[in-house]
Amino acid sequence: MDQWIIASEFAEVAVSLDTEANGPRLRLTDLRGGRVRYLDALELEALAWLPDERMRELLDPSAGRWSDGRRDG
Amino acid sequence: MTVQYSELIQPERVHGSLYTDPSIFAEELDRIWYRTWVCVGHASEVARPGDYVRKKVAAQDVIMTRSTDGEISLLLNRCAHRGNLVCEDERGNSGSFRCPYHGWTYRNTGEMLGYPYNQGYGGKGKLSLGLGRVPRVDTYQGFVFASFAADGPSLKEHLGAAAGELDRLARLSPEGEVELTAGWLKHRAKANWKLLVENETDGYHPQFVHGSVFSVTGSHIGNLYSDKSTAVTRDLGGGHSENDLRPEFRRMGTPMTWFGTSEAKVPEYVAKMRELHGKQAEEILIEGAPHVMVFPNLFVAEISVFMIQPTAVDETVQNVTAVQLKGAPEMNRRLLSQCVGSVGPAGMLLADDSEMYERNQRGMAARMPEWLDIRRGVGRERVDENGFRVGAANDETGMRGFWSHYRSLMEREDAR
Amino acid sequence: MSSLAEHTGLDLREVERFLYREARLADEHDYDGWEALWTDDALYWVPAGSPDADPQRLMSVIYDNRSRIRTRISQLKTGKRYAQSPPSNMRRLISNIEVVAVEGADTVVGANFLLIESRERGTTMWAGRTTYRLRRVEDDIRLAYKKVVLVDSAEALSTLAFLI
Repeated sequence: MDQWIIASEFAEVAVSLDTEANGPRLRLTDLRGGRVRYLDALELEALAWLPDERMRELLDPSAGRWSDGRRDG
Repeated sequence: MTVQYSELIQPERVHGSLYTDPSIFAEELDRIWYRTWVCVGHASEVARPGDYVRKKVAAQDVIMTRSTDGEISLLLNRCAHRGNLVCEDERGNSGSFRCPYHGWTYRNTGEMLGYPYNQGYGGKGKLSLGLGRVPRVDTYQGFVFASFAADGPSLKEHLGAAAGELDRLARLSPEGEVELTAGWLKHRAKANWKLLVENETDGYHPQFVHGSVFSVTGSHIGNLYSDKSTAVTRDLGGGHSENDLRPEFRRMGTPMTWFGTSEAKVPEYVAKMRELHGKQAEEILIEGAPHVMVFPNLFVAEISVFMIQPTAVDETVQNVTAVQLKGAPEMNRRLLSQCVGSVGPAGMLLADDSEMYERNQRGMAARMPEWLDIRRGVGRERVDENGFRVGAANDETGMRGFWSHYRSLMEREDAR
Repeated sequence: MSSLAEHTGLDLREVERFLYREARLADEHDYDGWEALWTDDALYWVPAGSPDADPQRLMSVIYDNRSRIRTRISQLKTGKRYAQSPPSNMRRLISNIEVVAVEGADTVVGANFLLIESRERGTTMWAGRTTYRLRRVEDDIRLAYKKVVLVDSAEALSTLAFLI
């Protein structure tokens, strides 16, 4: 399986094409945190069209991984 | 109720119109196919989150999906907007579905995610429309069943004694799991679906219909259904029936004879089973796989799994795939090869069965003698230790069980 | 003369003559004549679903090695293969014949077909593309491989018990 590593001083993510399911998916592995996520074509398309503003919201550390558990958005 | 089923279905005969009358077929859709538990597929067909496959429940197009949390849903393939088909591909992986017509988008659990240019609807989240969901979905040994009735007997209650036969299939896998991952052949027959169901556990026909292939391959299958056979036909209740071939296999007493092979041909599998099951392995390897018809549409014929799909009063699609046993690659190659040789449009067994279904349907255009006879073995039936009716290997005990259950469903007063 | 012919000794006319003969033997239920065309390493394959479906892993409509071709033919010859007894009346047209590759002693040929089958069930139209692997054996041409991709291989099919 071909795999690419996308790395910077801040994060390190492995990206590969997964063909084990009923259709192709992109497999993302956060090499530092160990978390794996699959993205299907429709999700990737949505990401491609995601407004920069929404992407900035996702990058807020408390939006997901380091949220304090309260849903007070 | 316009049709008097008690007149058409009698203990020893059934009326020809049951196979030819379009109004009876329409009632069957309501009272059987869109009500009781119907087998739709197998969990192994959607092994990973986001996987989906298209299926049919009679005429209805259904998407079987597995969500992120692993749950299997059966969604009706019909956009909530204009009724367009949402999924076109036979299978794929997607956590959400977008209708190509106007872009309405749903999660693979059916819930709506959104629609384009939402101001036309007053903004986001204004419509509480989703894809239709089959109200009840349940699985047994990985087989996925659908019931369009919001309530009624549970799947376990529906399966009754037939569940044990599915267990018997699963225990042939070293990991205790069947997988249906070999894809499906779709075989169309111009015949009413009940002719297929009745034929599946009819032990009277193999020597005639399949004599050609038995004679050229030296197969022992014909003997299993002969008058000397110790095998039995069992009415398992609930419309389910089986040809229980175990008495014959036990009499022969050699592992893998059920599969027409010997342990020397599949040494790794046999060794694995013995390691796992100890003494009980011999019983499993000798008794083999079931031959069971699960009402109304799942047929397990030892190495093949069939799902019967009625499309019209005189047309049925028989979907078939090879049994694959998790953890038994050595067996799986052989299971696939034997299955491909036997079933489907060119199969050395099923092509001839299908020819008979079609001739049977054409024969019934003649109006006399009106009835189909199902009395074979009535005089020699007995009740076994578990309370089930049992006939000889080639008796019509299974058919009588089918019709008795069919009648009870079709006569229900609250059916509509 | 083309370079292909130099390598294999099979020119397009020879290929055509073979394909037409094979088609005629199948259409006329000349089971012995048809079986005699095959080499010992024969493979006769009709995929289901996708044309590229892996036959070692997935169901095929037909996936016969030489031994299973023999069984299939023997079954037809019993006269009790009811799906072909009585046999279908049929004729097929073969066209768009192309030599697609030369691999060692084998010439790989592609061709389209249209087949009309008539039996009591009704008249059925079958169509698709066939890939043949033809091999010169002494003075004869033999069939080592035949893969028939039906245009409707993904749909429900009627019984297909004749030689396609």
